[in-house]
Amino acid sequence: MTDFALQVECLRPHLMRFARAQLRNDAWAEDAVSECLLAALERPQAFAGQSQLKTWLIGILKHKLVDQLRRNTREATVLVGEDGEDIFDDFFQPDGHWREAPRDWGDPDAACSQKEFFEVLQACCEHLPPTQARVFMMREWLELESDEICRELAISSANLWVLLHRARLRLRDCLQLRWFDGQRVPA
Amino acid sequence: MKNTLTCREAARLLLQDEDHELPIADRLALQVHVKICFACQRFVSQLNLMRRATRAWRKHAETGDDEGLAG
Repeated sequence: MTDFALQVECLRPHLMRFARAQLRNDAWAEDAVSECLLAALERPQAFAGQSQLKTWLIGILKHKLVDQLRRNTREATVLVGEDGEDIFDDFFQPDGHWREAPRDWGDPDAACSQKEFFEVLQACCEHLPPTQARVFMMREWLELESDEICRELAISSANLWVLLHRARLRLRDCLQLRWFDGQRVPA
Repeated sequence: MKNTLTCREAARLLLQDEDHELPIADRLALQVHVKICFACQRFVSQLNLMRRATRAWRKHAETGDDEGLAG
């Protein structure tokens, strides 16, 4: 094995963790990582040391993750937004006022400097319904633009908004419950 | 033209703003609302914190170290 191949192979566990978090399916994650490593080994000259090897590989992996999502989840993207339920009803009174005003989350530095906060964030993402989690992660982890997500999953932008709004509102609720309610936020 | 948004409308626009750029009219209406609405100001802060935290988390997952989390 060449030196380059060895270095690439060493990063497999790191890539697997990233792929699993996005896809939540071990078999798809394996496939994406294998395709990523293959692509990297076929074109070592493309690396040319212009960035960290890890960063370069993650860049390739992101494309392979999108391929997997396109292949495997297109039909599975159930349009939960079409059931007529408006998630805003849960948070707002009929006259448009907040049912419960958002609380003060305090200094963002305080939350973002704690490892435990990110464990809660991750757990909250894992608790999202699968379709919402998928589009949220495509947006935030794969950094896809909205129209790209619509194209890959063959859904309308109206449906994407519904899914993303739900994901963000649920995430906010989960963080409130599992993190901020237990913190003493200074006034 | 309607010159005031309800909190519900404002929240919807704020969420949309996370994922695509709002038309100028919506942006202006939103600015006016948020300026006078304490609850929606907090919602804005919460969204900012979530955005920042999600980015730090992603960085951490990409690089595999804890440095991303502190920044």
